[in-house]
Order: sequence, then structure tokens, then C-alpha cells
Amino acid sequence: MSEVITYFQNIKDTVSSIFEGMSITFSHFVRKPSTVQYPDRIAQQVQDTLPLRYRGILEVDMDICTGCLACERVCPINCIAIGIERNAETNQRDFTLFDIDICKCMYCGLCMEACPTGSIRHTQEFEGACNNPAGLVRHFVTESVPLYKPKKGGETEPRMIQKVDIGKRYLDEIAEPEN
Amino acid sequence: MSEVSTGTGLHTEDMTLNVGPQHPSTHGVLRFVVKTDGEVINEAIPDVGYLHRSIEKIGEKCTWHGYVPYTDRADYLAAMFANQGFCMAAERLGNVEVPPRGEYCRVIACELNRVASHLIAVGTFGQDIGAITPFLHALRERESINDLMEEICGARLTYNYLRIGGVGYDIKPETCGRIAAFLDHFEPIVDEYNRLLSNNKIFIERLANVAVISKEDALQYNLVGPNLRASGVQWDIRRDIPYSVYPELDFEVPVGQGERGTQGDSYDRYYVRIRELLESCRILRQCLDKMPDGPALAKVARKFKPPAGETYVRIEAPRGDMGYYVVSDGSEYPYRVRIRTGSFTAMSIIDKISPGIMVADLIALIASLDVDAPEIDR
Repeated sequence: MSEVITYFQNIKDTVSSIFEGMSITFSHFVRKPSTVQYPDRIAQQVQDTLPLRYRGILEVDMDICTGCLACERVCPINCIAIGIERNAETNQRDFTLFDIDICKCMYCGLCMEACPTGSIRHTQEFEGACNNPAGLVRHFVTESVPLYKPKKGGETEPRMIQKVDIGKRYLDEIAEPEN
Repeated sequence: MSEVSTGTGLHTEDMTLNVGPQHPSTHGVLRFVVKTDGEVINEAIPDVGYLHRSIEKIGEKCTWHGYVPYTDRADYLAAMFANQGFCMAAERLGNVEVPPRGEYCRVIACELNRVASHLIAVGTFGQDIGAITPFLHALRERESINDLMEEICGARLTYNYLRIGGVGYDIKPETCGRIAAFLDHFEPIVDEYNRLLSNNKIFIERLANVAVISKEDALQYNLVGPNLRASGVQWDIRRDIPYSVYPELDFEVPVGQGERGTQGDSYDRYYVRIRELLESCRILRQCLDKMPDGPALAKVARKFKPPAGETYVRIEAPRGDMGYYVVSDGSEYPYRVRIRTGSFTAMSIIDKISPGIMVADLIALIASLDVDAPEIDR
């Protein structure tokens, strides 16, 4: 007799626990949906909603890059390639190459921490799909440009003041852990 | 091979069945060679090594700072713990003192990571048993944690947040507020999981008294973490071999009590994780209250060269005791890095427990051990 009672008790428990679960599922009809309809049906670009510390695809501001090679040295997978040559005409050292292979990059953020001027930065950009891996190598030097030399007593040119400021702010807010 | 006579001149044979390497229930690239007699398993041998990426060897070729992002890849569901293990080993070798705020930042990040990892464990457990809805509920909450992690350290999965000597970036006060808000939102959700999954009669019937691991077996087969605690052994590295700021925090170590069946069955291994979710929330709240001011990272040389020596560091990761054996020869590169993980030792007991259980219960056993294929092979 007790087996029969257990049998029906089990059926009752099963059905009631299914309805218990269903009640949670149905309560989601009145809750705020958490789905993000990613590529097109979104109110705001995802890139704009990401926090400042987000480590996306790297960018380099060549105007404030001193060519100290700290990022190239610290990179654990050598995805940064920098070429510097002495220009015979101006007798200055010029960048001939600054490539970052986004394919190899593991977004660890060690390079941006090593940078003294904040010229190498992680952006909020993360969409990098392309047809062949060569398209993922970012070339930051198209024609040779001179190395940046920080002026004593600060910059005077407004454009440079702004750029140096952006780099400094980036270092203060994100990369400089000592502060 | 056992042959069973049917009495009519015919006989049956054992069948060899490959579960994996590509199988949704093996949680990654993991293969089991299963010998079955009908529905009953006679032998199940785990075949590991499909995800070997020689992370230990890479350690010998990287600088001390440069190896930290690689440790993320040892266990992608709990990357923060892998970071912490290596950083603690390097600090112990180099005699680096971590500032108090750095330690609190570490514990906050790690416990958030533990919640995220256990949510995956609980969610995929339901999915393997056949309940797909709880998986989505668990991942929804994990997504909030990923967003928090993105604010704290800038990445969602492979964090590289910890540095030798502290943490990479300080946790801002507004982020602390968001973590507190998340905890307020999350704790009632755990009750929801209980109503949705833990108290479900079908789920209980599938797990209670299935694949019971006794206390003695658990100790002999070197189970660690929640799997060991589910068998009734009171052992937690955070409490018994304290590290970081855990001695200052008040938390309990949940132990399997045979909630719905025998102590150490699959349901206990599941329920210990549910209770650990709440314990982690408790630790997080205490950390947010106690967080001191000050720097989050000690001054460590860019060219970090710890003196020659060796050390072994143990930490309590979501999959149990994670050990780092690191040898330094005083150069810029580690001489040897050896990683010991909980998932690997959990594999050994499958051979012992599986004879006599059903094929469907093998899936429950694998899911209840919460193994993570990349962590098995490294």
C-alpha cells in the first residue's frame, strides 16, 4: 500500500515542481529583458557603452611616440614590430615601421602600461573581422616620421598639448597603477 | 571482455563506446572510452591530452611579468585564480609585499570570478541532465559579472588583472557600489535557482544516490575543492592554509550532508556549489566594507629577477586546490613552472566510480565533478 502512496506522491511532487519552475519562467514576461540584439537592433553602439578600461584593438598615436621600444620588449608574443632608421638629410631618427599584428595580440595590456607617454592605447573597438589575416596587421607608419621628443617646459603647439594630455589622462586613469 | 550467456546458445558482448572528444557533455575536448553491457557501464577510461598547449613550457620562455597573461589560459573559467597562484609564487620567491588594498582587490576579483565559475558549473549541470532553462538563467547572471569584470580590469574572460606585487588597476568606488548592487540583486536569484532546479523532483531523482564517492575514496583519489567537501571532508585552503586576507574574513565552508540521498552523491556535489555561491557573496560584502585605502600595487622592478630558489603555492580555486611549483635560477625567466589543477585529479576517480552505473549517470558524474578540459591538460 505504501508503494502506491509513494508512487502517487512522486507524481504529485514532479508535477508541482514543474509548475514551480514554470512560475519563474512566466515571471520573466513582466521583467526587463536582458537580451542585447547585438549587431543592428541596438539603441547605442556597443563600443560607446564599454567602460574606459576596456581592452580592445590597439591604436598608436605616432605623434607622441618616443620610440623607446618599451612596448615591443614587454610584449610576451612579439606582436609589435618597430623599425627606426637614421634619416641622412635631417640627421634625426625616423620611424620606418610600426606594425601591430592584431591576429597575434592577446589583449593583455602590458604594452600600454609600459608606455611612458600613453601613445599606445587599447580602444573600445573590437570588431575586426576581415577576409585574410594580413588585413589584421595594423600599419601605423605609412611614410617615415620623426620620433617624438618631449619638449622641456611643456608643449606650446595646441594640437600637441591636446595629444600629450590625452596620453597623460589615459595613463592616469587606466594604466598607471601606482596612483 | 565478459561474455554473458543468454541460455539460448546466443551470447552478448561488451560494446566499446567513444564518448567524445566532441561531445556536448564532456565540457570541452575530452574523451571517454566506455565499455558497456547494454545500458550499464563496465569500465570508463578518461583519455585526456587533447587540449595540451604546453603552458608550463611557455613559462620557461617568458619573463616573469610576461607569463601572467598565459596563466589566464590554464583555466579560462577561473582565470583570476590562475593569475593569483603564479603571482603569489613569484612574490614569495622575490620577497615582495603586497599592499593591503591590493590584497582586498585580489579577493574581490577572485570571489566574483568564483561566483561566475560556479554559475557555469550549476548551469551546465542542469543542461547535461536535460534542463536547459536554468543554464540560460545562470549565464544571464554571469553576464552581469562579466560586465563588472570589464569595469574592473577591461577584459571579460582572460583578465590578466593581477600583477606581481598587487593588482593592475585599482577598483574604483563607483565599481564597488555596482558590485554591492549586483550582490543585492544576485542573492535572491540563488533562491530562484533552488526553486527552478535544486528542488525539482526530476532533477533530484536523477542525481540523488548516483555516483556516490565515499570520504575515504575522495581522500585516496586526491579529490580537491567542492568535490572533496561534498564527500564530507572539511578542507578549504582559504581556511586551513590561509593566504591573502582570508584570515580576516568570516565565512563558512559548506560540506555535503546528504541533502537528498547519500553523503557524497552527485546532488551533494551540486548543492555544495550552490551554497558556495552564497558564501562568496558574504566574503564579497565583507571585503567591500573593510577595503582600506592606499596603493594597490607594490613597486616591482620591470626586470623582475627573484633570487634563486623554489616554492610551492596552493590556492583554493573553484575547481579545488590549485598549486604552482615555481623554480627560479635568479634570471629574468622562470626556470620551471609546474601547475597542479583540481580537474586533473578529478579525472582519476571516474575509473573507480563508473563500473555498474548507467550511461546517463556517467554524464551526471562528469558534470558533477565540474571538470574543465583546458584545465586538465594545460
